[in-house]
Amino acid sequence: MAYSFAAKLISVSKRYSDVTAVKHIDLEVKKGEILGLLGPNGSGKSTLLKMILGLVKPDTGVINVLGVNLEADPFAVKKRVGYVPEGSYIYEFLTGLEFLDFAGDVFQMNLDEKKKRIEEFLKALDLEGREGDLISSYSEGMKQKILIISAIMHKPELLLLDEPLNSLDPKSARIVKDLLRKLASQGVATVMSTHVLEIAEAMCDRIAIMYDGQLLALGTMEDLRQRAKMPNSGLEDIFLELTGTGDVKPIVEELLR
Amino acid sequence: MNWKNILLLISINRKASRVMQRNSFRRYRDSKAVTYSLYGLACLIGISVGWLAGSFYNGITDQAARDSIIQSATYLFISLPTIVLLYGVVFTQMNQFRRIVKVTIQPMYWLPITWQEHTAASVLSNMLGAPLLITVFLSSAILTASIFLGLVFLSIVTVLALLTALVLASATTEIFKTTQIRLAGAITRVTGRAAIWLRLAASIMSMIVFYAVYYSIYNQATPVLLFEAVASGQNVLWFIPYVWPGMALSAFSNSLWTGTILFSLATLAFVLAVFLVATRLNMKFGFYEAPSAKISSGAYVPKVSLFERLGFSPSEVALMKKDLRAITRRHELMFIFVFPISIIVMMFFTTLRYGGSIPAGGSSLLFALITLLPGALTTPFLGSFIMGLEGENVWYLHSSPLSAENIARAKYFFVVIVDLVITLICAMVSGIIFAPSLIFAAVILIEATLLIVSLSAVSLACGFRGADYRGFFPMNRLLKPKWGLLNLVLCAVVALAIVAPVIPYFLSIASTALPIPFPLVISLPDFYVYVALVLSGVVSAFITYVFRKLVRAGAEKFRAEAEGI
Ligand SMILES: Nc1ncnc2c1ncn2[C@@H]1O[C@H](COP(=O)(O)OP(=O)(O)OP(=O)(O)O)[C@@H](O)[C@H]1O
Ligand SMILES: [Mg+2]
Repeated sequence: MAYSFAAKLISVSKRYSDVTAVKHIDLEVKKGEILGLLGPNGSGKSTLLKMILGLVKPDTGVINVLGVNLEADPFAVKKRVGYVPEGSYIYEFLTGLEFLDFAGDVFQMNLDEKKKRIEEFLKALDLEGREGDLISSYSEGMKQKILIISAIMHKPELLLLDEPLNSLDPKSARIVKDLLRKLASQGVATVMSTHVLEIAEAMCDRIAIMYDGQLLALGTMEDLRQRAKMPNSGLEDIFLELTGTGDVKPIVEELLR
Repeated sequence: MNWKNILLLISINRKASRVMQRNSFRRYRDSKAVTYSLYGLACLIGISVGWLAGSFYNGITDQAARDSIIQSATYLFISLPTIVLLYGVVFTQMNQFRRIVKVTIQPMYWLPITWQEHTAASVLSNMLGAPLLITVFLSSAILTASIFLGLVFLSIVTVLALLTALVLASATTEIFKTTQIRLAGAITRVTGRAAIWLRLAASIMSMIVFYAVYYSIYNQATPVLLFEAVASGQNVLWFIPYVWPGMALSAFSNSLWTGTILFSLATLAFVLAVFLVATRLNMKFGFYEAPSAKISSGAYVPKVSLFERLGFSPSEVALMKKDLRAITRRHELMFIFVFPISIIVMMFFTTLRYGGSIPAGGSSLLFALITLLPGALTTPFLGSFIMGLEGENVWYLHSSPLSAENIARAKYFFVVIVDLVITLICAMVSGIIFAPSLIFAAVILIEATLLIVSLSAVSLACGFRGADYRGFFPMNRLLKPKWGLLNLVLCAVVALAIVAPVIPYFLSIASTALPIPFPLVISLPDFYVYVALVLSGVVSAFITYVFRKLVRAGAEKFRAEAEGI
């Protein structure tokens, strides 16, 4: 299906009883780009991702995903999207393999492809030999890998990843990063929240900085540098400057008193 | 021991089951009033029951009758500690089951809290709820009644003994718990698919033993005789420490002061010993080990399942497979199997009591009950819990391309199939034992099927609307209480409506066995049973149709609103 943006948000807001998690955000995610979502805790990143998937309904605004209006047809997009939530809630009474098998069936993969992809991924992420164990006995990182595999293996066109590289070991993180870049070159769009600024700087084509439910800044690293008027700085300084949390020194000193 | 720590832990344990609801977690209001008013209510009911009994006694003028009432009351008081102990073990076990949460199973050992404090808190929190409510009721009843009976001293000591018995029961539960974890740990170290089944079998076995003991005690006699039996049984079994509270009481009522003091001291020593053992065990094995069974290590061979050939889509089959694994692997869901098993065991003991000399109609009755009840009783629970047991994992259903129809079908047929299998197994076993007539067996099986097909729809409709996804593995809230109640009422009404047409037939068979005259049952014409079956079939079909629509609507609503995310 032809679509110009993998996701397009127009003036989207979401309010939870007395907190406004997302305030009038406009955002366009291009085909084949990796968009990094940064922001302090509670700034609305996860809420935004859930709204793009249709898990959370926006109070105002319009969301288009893969050329489909989410409100009109929330389920048409699910099959074409891969999602990794934050916090690894996952059926702990299944084995890793059983879960992936389940996910493959739910996403309507055919048998041969399912088998091939599952085996490839288990091998690539060093889970071979443990796939028959109950997930309840997995480490955090292993659970995260299973979630990542289940989000990628059905070849989605849009990936929504909520802090995906958390608790992955360096090798696996590297594999996932390379994989995402490769997928991007094939046209898969990725929206990824993270707190690790190095990852954002290294991986993302564009970076969105959220603060208190609003989009503070959006653009390439170069755009952000110009915006912050800090031409030679790294992302950390820019981030702290833009989110107004720049001067941490007095805070640390206060804590140590 | 630091009592402040213990109180803190108790309040945490009490809250363990109430894991925050995401959309209102900023202001969680604890309804203390409700909790306290429950105890107040139990106390009030107890006082009124005691007052009624007392004024009944006052109204009697015959001296012999008065004496015999005093005598029975004394028996009752003396037997109460042992009875409290028995139900205390049952109910504290249940509380324990419900609290099998990582946070409670795995005490926060890294905090500056000692194991004694952890254990004491756990023992005390197990008593909250049903066990304590019943004890409050009993205590206030006997205290009030004793004023009329002139047994005030005895009743005060009885109340003390009751509380001791309850603590004893709860401490014993604590020992069970730790041993269970230990055993589960040992078993799960066994690898292979067998481990899962071993665990299931072990849980079921322990329940069977439990029910065997329970029924062999309670099947003995009528309630009044039971108290006497327990009171005298205590004397025979005096060497078992668990009856010591009762023994102390018995000695007290007979003014045997040395005996009273001896048994009281022994009781206290025993409570302390049980507590120390529980603490030791907790210290050693209290760390929660996640089950880590290796289920399979063979090559991965995805295949087309039988169900897909039967017309289910692959994603529906995947959902059903997942749910089957959930109910067989998740320890806290085992209670689903408690019903069928307890019923079979109960029936089994009933037959034992008759010692093989059951009249023909009687064995048909037993066949009917064993075939009908387990499936029909499991259905309302399985049906209403099957959505809630998704728990926090429910995000997966929301984020995957499953249609409302997919989810509704997979859940509905899963419940139907599991319950049909339970029914068939029960029917086979009881068919072999009781050898009912072919036509009777067929009628019962058809009724059982109709019940399951309809009740599944009813309870699933409630399950969709009332599912509570809060809580996290391995404990979910499953169902909102309001919907649970509604579900049970609806299921009872629907079940009655379905079986109503065959009740006359049933009675005509029963009347050949039981020496009770059934004035309503004039001998039925032979064809009546077929008419009755058609009638129940029509009722069942109508109910199923309506509630399947509601299930579908519930599924649509579930798809539309990602609740609990
Ligand atoms: N279900 C909910 N009910 C009520 N408030 C919520 C809910 N989900 C999120 N919020 C609130 O919305 C705001 C944004 O939350 P969100 O999870 O999107 O933040 P985040 O940017 O992902 O934070 P983090 O970096 O910590 O993951 C927070 O103030 C949070 O308290
Ligand atoms: Mg987040």
